[in-house]
Amino acid sequence: MTQTLDTREGLQFFGRVSASVSHEIKNVFAVINEAAGLIEDLTVMAERGIPLQPDRLKGVANSIQGQIRRGDTIIKNMNAFAHSTDETVREVNFVEILDLTRALAARLADMRQIRLILGDCEPVSQLANPFDLMQLLHSSILAAIDSMDADDTLVLSVKPVNGGASFSLSVPGKDAPLKNDHVFSSTLQTMNVTVTVDENLRTTELFLPAQDATD
Amino acid sequence: MKVLLVDDEVELVSAMAERLGFRDIDADWTDNGEEALKMAASTEYAVAVLDMKMPKMSGLDLMELLAKDHPTMKYVFLSGHGSETDFKAGCAAGCSYLIKPIQIEDLVAKIQEAQG
Repeated sequence: MTQTLDTREGLQFFGRVSASVSHEIKNVFAVINEAAGLIEDLTVMAERGIPLQPDRLKGVANSIQGQIRRGDTIIKNMNAFAHSTDETVREVNFVEILDLTRALAARLADMRQIRLILGDCEPVSQLANPFDLMQLLHSSILAAIDSMDADDTLVLSVKPVNGGASFSLSVPGKDAPLKNDHVFSSTLQTMNVTVTVDENLRTTELFLPAQDATD
Repeated sequence: MKVLLVDDEVELVSAMAERLGFRDIDADWTDNGEEALKMAASTEYAVAVLDMKMPKMSGLDLMELLAKDHPTMKYVFLSGHGSETDFKAGCAAGCSYLIKPIQIEDLVAKIQEAQG
């Protein structure tokens, strides 16, 4: 039986992501609501004889369409996140899951004025518990953000190493964002992840060994 | 009466300012706290409408800074959620708040109420 992370911590992670996503969706609705209200106002004014400018309406329509695209992306990410609990272990595309975790953490990073970007990634897929892996990556990103300054950029990458995979976190122009003894050591231990700091590359590496299908 | 709107959602706050203008409320807007402080230094605003959660500077932090130089300014807060914990912890009596998405008539009423 595969060992999974602590249930309470998992719920807290799920709650944290859900709260962030719901806040983003609220903002999308708020902008659409205001745009719709603006159309209504312009229409009322037109009824009173003030000419309705097509460009003005077109701009508001574009704004609504843009917000719907934004909302659709948020919902797609939330849906993929929710489905990460479907199976305990499955073949996981690590580049995709890293990018999804980045997207889900983006709002939290925005609040600190920090950019999260995907750096050079090499294709790597292996057996893993997708939910636990996202929890590990999300915790790593938040811990890294805590050590960063406004206007910094956190670069996330992944590549295959020795049959497993290595995730890296770096902040251009700064030292490695995480050290070995960081707060989520129990998570690292449960997942058999080792953390190393490459002082030359100023990069923190999280190495996840290959998981046996019979685990 | 001049009103200052501050929200990091540019499309939201610009539309809100325009809609308030249709209702004879002269509103300026910005998407960040630093710019809001500069605007308040050069223009006298009766009421500031502030988003609670913004990057770098929250609405409550911004209110504290504005209140130092503009003791008569009144505040209306916009929040994405119904939790009153942060609001009650940080806002003095007399502030009010609305939960997004808002109805413009409710905002107008809150602004008028704040102005007294």
